[in-house]
Amino acid sequence: MTEESLLTDDVRALIGAASEAAPVQVTAVAVRRAGDVYYGRPGAVPPAGEPVPGIAIAGLETGSTRLNIPDLMPNSVLISNEWEFERPLRMGEELMARSRLADISERFGGKFGYSIYIRTDVEFSDSEGALVARASSTLMQYDPRNAREGGGE
Amino acid sequence: MTTAVEGEELTPLELRPDLEQVIKFCGFSWAFPRFFYDVDAARAQGMPGTLVPGPLKLGLLYRALDEWLDGRGWICQVRAAHRRPDITGRPVTIAGRVARVFDEKGRTRADVELAVINEEGQPSVRGFGVVEFND
Repeated sequence: MTEESLLTDDVRALIGAASEAAPVQVTAVAVRRAGDVYYGRPGAVPPAGEPVPGIAIAGLETGSTRLNIPDLMPNSVLISNEWEFERPLRMGEELMARSRLADISERFGGKFGYSIYIRTDVEFSDSEGALVARASSTLMQYDPRNAREGGGE
Repeated sequence: MTTAVEGEELTPLELRPDLEQVIKFCGFSWAFPRFFYDVDAARAQGMPGTLVPGPLKLGLLYRALDEWLDGRGWICQVRAAHRRPDITGRPVTIAGRVARVFDEKGRTRADVELAVINEEGQPSVRGFGVVEFND
């Protein structure tokens, strides 16, 4: 059972690491498919420049912006995620997406004993560089062999 | 009614996320962990069946807010804290309650507490949203 910190200086140095910025576009296909996934019917596509539902953001997180997250423990699970919008996304607009490893922390004594929390942000900015939206998620890495009866969450 | 009243409850949204919806989500987000669509892989992880992805549940919270808003404003933020897994094909209910109505830079906003409730009546997700009304 791991009871010592795995957050070495090399691991902590990863905090703040960011991907290259990659262009993404709010397309009619993304809007239609977002509607199909979340509402069970294709999303209505408005004219260019008009607001679209924020759920289209899920289709904008491209593989090119993903970070290499270190596997410090055997398993990982999503414990929280969030979308924040400074304004509605607009039909047809092109944004720049950049992923960032926002934080790494650790916890001793939880349900799985020692665990590690890794938060990543994907930020979407407009052509002026202004932040439009952010998608954040926090993964917990843990070892299932350390599960404790009656442990904390 | 243009805005909302503190304490107002959202009409519960009853859903049954199934494997087809999960596979569509995987394609849309281009993320394919096997335990989302392969029951053997899910069982190898100790789960009784394939799981509803957390990011899909975040979008379902967004949908619940959107259907409640019904064009009266837009969603500024939605957040999900995942407490326990949901298995595909089982019913869930999304519930919500307006926690606070407030002014921000001259616009009316509301904080909304949200939850995904499983068929045992347990919250699998605790959520939160912020909406801004058109005024």
